[in-house]
Amino acid sequence: MTIGVLDPSNERHAAQARLAERTVSLRGKTVGFISNGKEGTEGYFKHLDYMLRKQLGVGDVVWRTKSNYSAPAEAEIVDEIKKWHAVVAGVGD
Amino acid sequence: MTTRFVSAAELMGRVLGLPDYKFVIIGHPISSASDADLAEYARASIDQARNLLLRT
Amino acid sequence: MAPPIVTTHEQPTRKPPLTSKVYDVADFSAAQELFHSNGWTDGLPVVPPTRPAVEACLDWAAMVPEQLLGVEPVREQPITAEKVAINAVMAGCLPMHFPVVATALQAMLQEEYLLHGVTSSTGGCAALIVINGPIRLEIGANATFNALGNSDRATSVIGRAVRLALINLMDVRPGGIDRSTLGHPGKFSYCLAEDEEDTIWEPLSVVRGLPLGASAVTVMAAMAPRQIMNEWTTDPKEILETFAAEMRANQLNYSIYGGNYAIIIPKQLREPIQAAGWKKRDISEFLYERARVRRGDWATVGKGSVVRDRADKIHPALQSPEHLLVIAAGGPAGGFGAVIAPWMGSKTKAVTAAIGACVDCASPKT
Repeated sequence: MTIGVLDPSNERHAAQARLAERTVSLRGKTVGFISNGKEGTEGYFKHLDYMLRKQLGVGDVVWRTKSNYSAPAEAEIVDEIKKWHAVVAGVGD
Repeated sequence: MTTRFVSAAELMGRVLGLPDYKFVIIGHPISSASDADLAEYARASIDQARNLLLRT
Repeated sequence: MAPPIVTTHEQPTRKPPLTSKVYDVADFSAAQELFHSNGWTDGLPVVPPTRPAVEACLDWAAMVPEQLLGVEPVREQPITAEKVAINAVMAGCLPMHFPVVATALQAMLQEEYLLHGVTSSTGGCAALIVINGPIRLEIGANATFNALGNSDRATSVIGRAVRLALINLMDVRPGGIDRSTLGHPGKFSYCLAEDEEDTIWEPLSVVRGLPLGASAVTVMAAMAPRQIMNEWTTDPKEILETFAAEMRANQLNYSIYGGNYAIIIPKQLREPIQAAGWKKRDISEFLYERARVRRGDWATVGKGSVVRDRADKIHPALQSPEHLLVIAAGGPAGGFGAVIAPWMGSKTKAVTAAIGACVDCASPKT
């Protein structure tokens, strides 16, 4: 005789997401940074900002920092992404 | 993402519906890294970013 | 002439079916291996969740299987009564424990608790669950001996059920979503009842806005307990100064930022404080003043590099006296107390919810 046991997990499958269209070049474009605000991220993003402009010709870099490093970015920050051509979100510390 | 958080990023990609989502991986930790280390991580990020952000 | 006898046939009440997948296993041992191999446990044996056991929980709480207890916003994950009941049975819950589990999870799913943040962080906190009201006596939740340990069946299984639900419904597994560097033993179970019968103070739930006599849970994203000892005075200020010193130590050694702290005051320390006429409000106001540190003192514990130019900034452990959770619990002897620190300042807030009350209403107090 067997025992019937129920699945305790959420069984629901994640919705499929799509990658945004890639661009051929970032020259003159806008890149946004969404930092988790942890110690050390400012130095990292400072170097990245400089290199994106110098090496990839990025036109503008917008810096944003989440108010809570463990929570997703605020809706206002996510809304701004529409104005950017690429996003760098990070960093695990 | 720093190396120690790679598995977390992979899991979140699966959970949010992009199981093969590619991301830049740099050294860990950031919080106590020197400025020279951070510059090196940024350099590594640019190299990886060319493939991730641009259409090739 | 006698009126015709009219008979009515009552339709049997149709129970909504459970919709979770069913696995047929050979026996208890096979059930263990199935659950462990799927990552569905906390490492300990589980009670196989059979359909009758899960239905009994739902019946007791008068919930239908698909009833939504909340939605985890980051993953947009609906948390249903059926799934929580399955995890409650696995933890060893009887039907009478289930309403406490369901309410605790509902409270944790409130936005201000920040469930994703607190369960994924390297900081390693666990959900502290405090039970108030008549339900404590109904389920045999013991508020005295070993209050923060394995005091009784009810608090052990309720705390465990919450952890299993996090593991199975939100993928909060070590190395997965749960990035805790260390964690602490409260991640197995971290639940206690307040000793309302042996104190003149108001229950925690009443302080936090619920009516006296309501059964309730308060949840807080909490670090491990830090035990203090002061058996050598009956002066409330001296007793509470020891609690304050432990809060200040936590600020320097762990996290300086103010948030919800909980303090547990057992009988031997409660009695002189009560005898001096101090209420919970007096305790909160005293600790609000005393538990604060100067940022520059970070340098004395090896953190000089982050003092920067703000050495004279004063950081209070509590942003207001209301942020302190004062809990009467613990055995009758021993001049011990406990300070339980928040995960990380006030990024998460403790939530209090009534058991069996409106599920669609906003939490009464945060």
